[in-house]
Amino acid sequence: MAVPQLDPAKLQLVQELEIEMMSDMYNRLVSACHQKCIPVKYHEAELGKGESVCLDRCVAKYLDVHERIGKKLSNMSQGEAEDLTKINLQEKK
Amino acid sequence: MSEYKKPDIDPDLVKFSEGNDYDSLAKYLCKVYRYRENIIIPRVLGPVVIKTNDEKMIEATVESCPFKSVTSCIIGYGLGAAVGLFTSSLMPNMTDPMAQQNQTAREILREMKNSMLSYAKNFALLGAVFSGVECCIESARGKSDWKNGTYAGGVTGGLIGLRGGLKAGLFGAAGFAAFSTVIDYYMHQR
Repeated sequence: MAVPQLDPAKLQLVQELEIEMMSDMYNRLVSACHQKCIPVKYHEAELGKGESVCLDRCVAKYLDVHERIGKKLSNMSQGEAEDLTKINLQEKK
Repeated sequence: MSEYKKPDIDPDLVKFSEGNDYDSLAKYLCKVYRYRENIIIPRVLGPVVIKTNDEKMIEATVESCPFKSVTSCIIGYGLGAAVGLFTSSLMPNMTDPMAQQNQTAREILREMKNSMLSYAKNFALLGAVFSGVECCIESARGKSDWKNGTYAGGVTGGLIGLRGGLKAGLFGAAGFAAFSTVIDYYMHQR
């Protein structure tokens, strides 16, 4: 994936989108892992050992899934782009 | 996909500061708690507290399974010594009824000491095994609820009772699991 956007305006835009994406992912991660790992009834204020372990695993899995699906999606869209260029070349002929 | 266009800025908006000049000055004016300059973690209540690596290491050590097991062992030793002292004062071991010289204070104190040590070692081993097993079960399950104590009690009771055969092991497991559940219930009820 080439990065030819070196205008300061576009770079700013990309950075802002990146920050927004990161904070959105953080919020979703917190919400999902809280729902999975911490039961509804609270016995005490501190995180127990089981809950801490569960949260570690949840975050690791979430980020792993996020990375893999991102790669798959980018491969798919790259494949689509290649198909489109092939079709365009065929049509031009 | 059409290009992303930022929405127009409201013309009535009062701009306090253009750009990030205050943001970049902030690090000279007041103590900035940001871990990185440009990453801002949303505040919940009060200043953002990010634990230092030392603190994280200490916490990881204190909450680890071996440390908990050792702590439980030491506490068990102390508790066992107290129980042994109490028990030996209530029920002195008068196994030899013939000799009167066994009634000296030194002899009784020696028997007290032996009884204390014996109880202390047993309790220490019990505490270490129970705590270690409970910590491992809790780490494996990933949940913090009452069942961890029960399962750990079952395993510990089983290990203790297994010396007397399989049936004794099963009874020991059931009994110790029940005992552990009751103790946990009372501790959490407050």
